[in-house]
Amino acid sequence: MRLGIAIDSRMCMSCYNCYTACKDEHCGYDTKLSKAQPQMGQFWMDIREWERGNSDRKIKTATVPTPCSHCQDPACAKAAKDGAVYKRGDGIVIIDPEKSKGQKQIVDACPIKAIYWNEEYQIPQKCTMCAELLDDPNYLSYLGDPKLKKPRCVEACPNNAMYFGDLDDPNSDISKAIAANKVTQLEPLAGQVTNVVHLNVPTVFLAGTVYQPKELEEVLIGATVTLIKEDSGEKWETKTNYFGDWEVEDLPKNAKFKVTVSAEGYKTVTGNTVTDKDRNLPVVYMERA
Amino acid sequence: MEKITHSICVGGPIAIHTEDGVIRRVRPVIFDKNDPDPWVIEARGKSYSPYRKSTTAFIALTEKNRAYSYDRIRYPMIREDFVETPDGKNRNTENRGKSGYRKATWDEALDLVAREIKRVQDTYGKETVTAITSSHHSWGLLGYKLSTFARFFRMLGYTQILDNPDSWEGFTWGAPHTYGYYWRLGGTEAFDLLEDAMQNVETMIMWSHDPDSTRGGYAASESTMWRHWLDDMGVQFIYIDPFNNFTSVKQADKWFGPRPGTDAALAEAIAYVWITEGLYDKDYIGKHGHRFDEWADYLLGKGADCVAKTPKWAENETGIPAADIKALARRWGTTKTMGGSGLRGGFGGVCRTANGTEFARIMVSLFAMQGMGKPGQNIWVGSTGAPMDYNFWFGGYSDPLSQIANQPIADKTAVNCVTQKLYRPNLPDAVLDGHYEWYGEGFCGGGIDLEFTEHIYPEPGCSEVHLFYRYGGTFMGSMLDTNKWVKMYRSPKLEFVVNQDIHFHGESRFADVILPACTNLERYDIGELCNSGNGGYQSHSQTGNNWQIVVFQDKAIEPLWDSMSDYWIFSQIAERLGWGQEFTEGRSELDWCKRFWEKSDLCERISWEEFTKKGYYVAGVPADRKRYYGFRWFAEGYPCDTPNHKPFQEEGKLGTFTGKFEFVSESMLYYAPDDEARTPIATYKPSWEGHHSIKAKKYPFHLISPHPRFDYHTQHNSSTPWIWEIPENRKYINGNPYLIARIHPVKAAEKGIKDGDLVELFNERGRVLCVARVTYRVEVNTIHAYGSSGIYNPVDPGNPESLDIGGCVNILSPGRLIGDKVPGMAPNSTLLDIKKYEGEIPKGQYFEYKLDKVAKEADPDAETCFDIIEGHGFEAIQAKVRARA
Repeated sequence: MRLGIAIDSRMCMSCYNCYTACKDEHCGYDTKLSKAQPQMGQFWMDIREWERGNSDRKIKTATVPTPCSHCQDPACAKAAKDGAVYKRGDGIVIIDPEKSKGQKQIVDACPIKAIYWNEEYQIPQKCTMCAELLDDPNYLSYLGDPKLKKPRCVEACPNNAMYFGDLDDPNSDISKAIAANKVTQLEPLAGQVTNVVHLNVPTVFLAGTVYQPKELEEVLIGATVTLIKEDSGEKWETKTNYFGDWEVEDLPKNAKFKVTVSAEGYKTVTGNTVTDKDRNLPVVYMERA
Repeated sequence: MEKITHSICVGGPIAIHTEDGVIRRVRPVIFDKNDPDPWVIEARGKSYSPYRKSTTAFIALTEKNRAYSYDRIRYPMIREDFVETPDGKNRNTENRGKSGYRKATWDEALDLVAREIKRVQDTYGKETVTAITSSHHSWGLLGYKLSTFARFFRMLGYTQILDNPDSWEGFTWGAPHTYGYYWRLGGTEAFDLLEDAMQNVETMIMWSHDPDSTRGGYAASESTMWRHWLDDMGVQFIYIDPFNNFTSVKQADKWFGPRPGTDAALAEAIAYVWITEGLYDKDYIGKHGHRFDEWADYLLGKGADCVAKTPKWAENETGIPAADIKALARRWGTTKTMGGSGLRGGFGGVCRTANGTEFARIMVSLFAMQGMGKPGQNIWVGSTGAPMDYNFWFGGYSDPLSQIANQPIADKTAVNCVTQKLYRPNLPDAVLDGHYEWYGEGFCGGGIDLEFTEHIYPEPGCSEVHLFYRYGGTFMGSMLDTNKWVKMYRSPKLEFVVNQDIHFHGESRFADVILPACTNLERYDIGELCNSGNGGYQSHSQTGNNWQIVVFQDKAIEPLWDSMSDYWIFSQIAERLGWGQEFTEGRSELDWCKRFWEKSDLCERISWEEFTKKGYYVAGVPADRKRYYGFRWFAEGYPCDTPNHKPFQEEGKLGTFTGKFEFVSESMLYYAPDDEARTPIATYKPSWEGHHSIKAKKYPFHLISPHPRFDYHTQHNSSTPWIWEIPENRKYINGNPYLIARIHPVKAAEKGIKDGDLVELFNERGRVLCVARVTYRVEVNTIHAYGSSGIYNPVDPGNPESLDIGGCVNILSPGRLIGDKVPGMAPNSTLLDIKKYEGEIPKGQYFEYKLDKVAKEADPDAETCFDIIEGHGFEAIQAKVRARA
């Protein structure tokens, strides 16, 4: 058994229910597995968010709720002395609150900065995947269905953007969700197996708007926009919509692209761009051919 | 010993785990196998059902943090320099807002309050007492303001302060003149429109609409999944808002950010395109429209102003390119489109502008032009209209049948013997000037004529008010021109001020006596999710939920510190005034809760014992449910059969004078043909505080301060440090949580402001210190900072000129009403300027910290505010509660 959480960024609306549920569970309460999360300054469920777009014509946010990834081969465990970080049989990674005292290198070892340093107790702290609740046979026994027992963040999600279960069981909800969606590993953990799996985190978009000749004050619907990745020749094609807008989402990052806008009866427009960031390309006014 | 009880708070139903008298955790309510099956909507080849739990808005999960909050009012307190002079004079009222307090016993405080009530009423008359509450500082039929509070003050006799529909002003004061629905305060009927949308809609116009942010206080996060469903079907979502709001930024296929206050110009240009290109339902308008041609002439430039409302004209007002306006009009005019509106269900703020009434009227006109009520064509914004069992009745908070002020819940109805009224938005003006006149009844659900009733204060033969009893929440952050409220409180005319609240909100510190009430979690109550009362202004508002869930709000813990329930407090004062028995009718709080069960359909569904044991009841929707698609009766011409309607609807008529959509309003012509804010033809009118004002030369930015995403009214930010570190909400620096203010990168560069800088927002009304967020999410001329700050924290307490560091941006908003005859407020018609703040960072200097002295005197081991915010205060409180048990 390998317990995990899958987090679907596409379904996340950044509502902070998971963040608040985590605070509610762990602030002010020590357990066998962890000292209390301090009221302020630590975010065992951290809502990482960035704005996408370089113009007010197209702007979105990407949200990646980020707890400890509970890596299969945790860097923090390697950095720890005296077995202060250990992996349980169910895959959950725990920092021993006693043995880890003074071991700040455990914080520094985490590739995604999901471990926090507690100055008062001189210990590293992080998400426990609510293992102390999962271990407790009485927790939520009143509901009469053991399957309803989940980490607090997962239970609190109003949008079912988070899945919890056994990653080794292909029929579990979490395994099905992972199979049905695009797995988007956090970049610093590339190539590693983790028990927290991020789904549908976007990469980079290119977008733009195409107008008819400026004096007409009309959008151009149905123009063809072609993106060609310069090094590989890979091609993406789309058409402008009813607003003259086009958008290609989830492009490879940091690649050079040739952009072509064409429409019957108009001169073709070409340009170059780079997917170093989400870009809304300058507005294009087409000229009659 | 762990105990699990249930409650419902602002933000949704919750399950509460307590251990030895201390709240351990707060969770959403997860249904068990005995709860009913969900409804099913079949649409476009798929079946859709909600999941088997009741969602929360994140604010509901802060209830533990709020209950043990640093700013809980722990003891009854009396202002240090308050002197109980026999004539009510010389009471150092000018020190309100800065004076400290001393701890009092309950007897001392309640005796004083009762003595003062008697004194002023004997001296000046019954009407000299006035009192008001904020809305929804707690949830539950017993504790709500229309129940216990209303029962007490009506029995006492007092000058009632009328509420304004502050969240959606323009729709209340405007839309009824175009399509009736005054009984829904301008809102429309959403019955079964979720199913209609799922089956038919192609385009959603989310105009000034942010349901992910603003829906939570009533309907938790119940509807977010519906919008995902629609999105996944390929339905196009177009958001229009000067701020690319939190729902928009996650979902929009297209976002337009018009200059604040110019939305009506954009709407007129859309109508212009439809008229000139024939993109509207001419048959429908021919049949259901009244004087449409006159409006069309006005739009085409044949009206009195001789200006055609072309897309190019609108581009100059709104900043949105003409080409885009045409494209928007064509998409809307050629696909099945639903949308809105700045109305309930997602309040974006457009109706809280100087031109809000006209926007609302034109918005209704646009939907009429597309055949409103036909499948997939309606005012509906993806946050209401789920299937519901219309035959199951449990009372909602605004329903007179479910308030302890009235029969049948009470044996005797409480009736106020005072007719004099005051009006909330201008309460400070009335008190300070001793004279105030206004139109309307605030909430005018009883008829369009009520908008035009004339009020004068003081009423002939009546006295001014001299005792102000303030209960729950704070108007410092929700009403406008905050400093006027400060001046009012410092006036000696208010001889005595009481504040009864749970938390030490910005307004509490202006009271002479502060009475600590307990939270929802510390007393009994009963309530239903999102039920504002069938037959009320948002009749059947539970259709905003996936599930109808009635909750027994069990007492999870004993009241903390010396706090007591509101019911207990009012009972005690009534007792001292000599009518305690009449007030309580001998009932305990639990007895009253049982009355609500007994007088509703709930008693036929579940026994009291089972209900209180389980903690909640879910009313399922019958599989063979009957549908009543909202407004379909009108479009298709059959007698109205919706669960809540007026007799004339059965004749196929709307609630206007003509029963039709009035493009020239006969009601305006009848009641107020000279009204400058609302003309007979609704028109775009530049704001009295907008980019055409002289003032714009000095204060070039618009401030918009919509309903907040990270709060509900004023209740959460002030008491919940957990959420101060949410980057889009506040930034916690040096002991103070600064509010985020958003500015466009181009303007930020001009002003030398970088993301994260401290910035001062200022105009002639005041100054507020915020933290800048530089983002393309705001229109270029706009500063966006959320209103409703519960924290009002002037650097120089009590000084109305002082810089505020609490994020109370309402200080900057005009107290002016929308129009002479439109008594709505307009916070989003505010001009200001912004600059980088170069001064010293004020030290964390909460007024509440000063109260630590009171706490320490009462109990040397008391935890300090700072302990509770950052340290181990919560653990200390736990230990004490356990020791007491």
